[in-house]
Amino acid sequence: MNGRVTVRRIVAALGVAALLAAAAGCGSTELPTSRQAAGPPRPAGVQDPAKVPAAPGDDTSCGDPLASYRPGSLPSPGHMPAGSTMERIRKRGRLVVGVDQNTYLFGFRDPATNKIQGFDVDMLREVSRAIFGDPDRIQYKTITSAQRIPVLQKHDVDLVADVMTINCERWKDVAFSTDYFDAGQRVLVLKDSTATKLGDLGGRKVCAAKGSTSIRAIAADPAKPVPVAVDDWTDCLVMLQQRQVAAISTDNAILAGLAKQDPNTKVVGPRFTSEPYGIAANSADTDLVRFVNGVLAKIRGDGTWKSIYDRWLTVLGPAPSPPAARYRD
Amino acid sequence: MTALASPRTPVLASARRGLSARAGSTPGRLTGLLVVALLLGLGFGVAAVSGVLQRSGLVDDVRTRSGPLTVQSQQLYRALSDADATAATAFLSGGIETPAASRRYQKDIAAASKALATTAGSGGADADAVEQLTTQLPVYTGLVETARVYNRQGLPLGAAYLREASGLMREKLLPAAQRLYRAETAQLADDRDGAALFPFVAVPLGLLLLAGLVVGQVWLTRRTNRLVNPGLLAASVAAVLGLLWLTVSWGALAADLRDGETHGSAQVQTFAQARLLALQARADESLTLVARGNGASFERDFQRRMTDLVGRDGKGGLLGAAYDGADADMRRALDGAVADVAAWRGAHRQVRALDDGGRYPEAVDLAIGAEKGSAATAFGALDDRLGGAIDAANGRSGRAADAADGTQTGAAVGLGLLTVVVVVGAAVGIQRRAAEYR
Repeated sequence: MNGRVTVRRIVAALGVAALLAAAAGCGSTELPTSRQAAGPPRPAGVQDPAKVPAAPGDDTSCGDPLASYRPGSLPSPGHMPAGSTMERIRKRGRLVVGVDQNTYLFGFRDPATNKIQGFDVDMLREVSRAIFGDPDRIQYKTITSAQRIPVLQKHDVDLVADVMTINCERWKDVAFSTDYFDAGQRVLVLKDSTATKLGDLGGRKVCAAKGSTSIRAIAADPAKPVPVAVDDWTDCLVMLQQRQVAAISTDNAILAGLAKQDPNTKVVGPRFTSEPYGIAANSADTDLVRFVNGVLAKIRGDGTWKSIYDRWLTVLGPAPSPPAARYRD
Repeated sequence: MTALASPRTPVLASARRGLSARAGSTPGRLTGLLVVALLLGLGFGVAAVSGVLQRSGLVDDVRTRSGPLTVQSQQLYRALSDADATAATAFLSGGIETPAASRRYQKDIAAASKALATTAGSGGADADAVEQLTTQLPVYTGLVETARVYNRQGLPLGAAYLREASGLMREKLLPAAQRLYRAETAQLADDRDGAALFPFVAVPLGLLLLAGLVVGQVWLTRRTNRLVNPGLLAASVAAVLGLLWLTVSWGALAADLRDGETHGSAQVQTFAQARLLALQARADESLTLVARGNGASFERDFQRRMTDLVGRDGKGGLLGAAYDGADADMRRALDGAVADVAAWRGAHRQVRALDDGGRYPEAVDLAIGAEKGSAATAFGALDDRLGGAIDAANGRSGRAADAADGTQTGAAVGLGLLTVVVVVGAAVGIQRRAAEYR
């Protein structure tokens, strides 16, 4: 009996020793080399550093990019000219548009109602109202910034209204309406940041959406911030909240929407670019662009533009007067 | 075995000492016969008993370790896929998630954590995958909860957190869970193959022993004119019994394990894979709608998974191939699953037609609504059916392993005792004849 107990003790002691040795072995080999990265994962599709498109220089090949096709008189809803793009849309029964569902205040999905809404969306609803007499004859296709031009070129959608800056480079691929909103690039940082402009963010990561004009402005800053590109603007805010980037830099209008979702952020610095927004269409659909310009001219004049601004954008201050239209013929 | 051998050692030693001197004489030959019989008897005994113990150990591993761990890792994989699909679907419904969706998600996370703890505790077959899962699962749930908070505030930021969570799930957690499941399945197959290995040392030794005993008997009969040597007879009978016990118990064990493989594990594999494909396709279906007109890649994924599941014509794919050699149970389950998939595909086509035709709200209703004919209902039926088939097949696999374990009951002791009879019988029988020459 006694002998057995002793044997058991020895066995137990040996077992414990073996376990300790194994544990020590694990400790010394595995813990330091653990390959699991601590901290949050990155949003799907992130580019760090961003691929920056070749600098356009100041592309002035199109003359005045803000000059769009001059509208004729607006046909009454439901009576589009035969053979026109608008008539094709009317026959189809719905206007197909490309919008963003992640740009708060301009084009976003309300998680409570599943409805797409915002300033850009209301512009398109006015176009639908002019074609059908009903603002809701719209099929929304949600797109990322990088998809705005391809979906138009493939004619997947009739129109795109998605915080899209009008410039000569894009005029080569698509046609723009007149300017319906004037934005300009600024910087969004966390409240505890001391940075007040891109120049203070040299070597730090600054986020913007892929295919946006903002990415170039970040890359072009002489202080050399590191541009990081994501699919959607809200992905930038996720990364800022998780401190994976130091700042977000894009149009003040988009930043205002992001800042409104997180009160621990602030928009800083001056507007250092000018970003006029236009509604884009396939280059061939000039009749549709003229029609849209007619709609825009109407809502600038009759107070609709101001009421839409007041619905969404008071966070940017009181409604300015709508941007003036400029035309080419 | 030392306990059996040690009392005989003096006999062996003296036999060896006298061997050379008496080799030519009849007593010398008798001693030689004795030595050969004892060596073969002990060799057979050692090989047979240690083989039985080893087989029992491996069957025990199948029953209590690799078998259950395979089930756990498969549940982990399923729970994670289900959580991903549920989160995507809940997002679609708009507003705060329904109580049913929220319960389902919580159940999934609880099931995943439990399975992960069990696997980690017993040292999973893929330590790296286990580490990845244990470190990343809390990150995933954190992101989902953040998404939920922002959703409740009506902010689109919630969707971004959900996308990040889903990306983490699809890029890290699910692949790790899949690796773990594969490793556990391979471990189970190894244990099973090891346990069912033919006793290729003990059986030849037993046959040699038997041959030796018979030859000795014949030789003795010629030498001594006595028909039967009771000692050798007892030894021979014991050797025959030992051989029979060994081969029959091995045969039964191998048959039970094979049974567990074909009616259990192989079916589990098929159904579990089918269930995962269905879950991932369900997530794709929801994500296509979440992407709202921009989900072509998700729709392609959906169609690809459907083709993997039932082929283009609804009769091939994983489920179609599983009909080969399927038993009645499996056939029934397959018939049901194929019909469920057909119903789901029909509903899915309608969902796509509605969405592509600009009727988004109706498409969402048909995709997630609880009414008959909705995609959610068809998917739910398929998921339940596959879950039931998996549970049943897991049960069969477990029962077969229990039965295999039962075949080895008493085999070690029995074979040990028979070995004693062989050794003692041979020793006594031959010693008696040898004594007559003194």
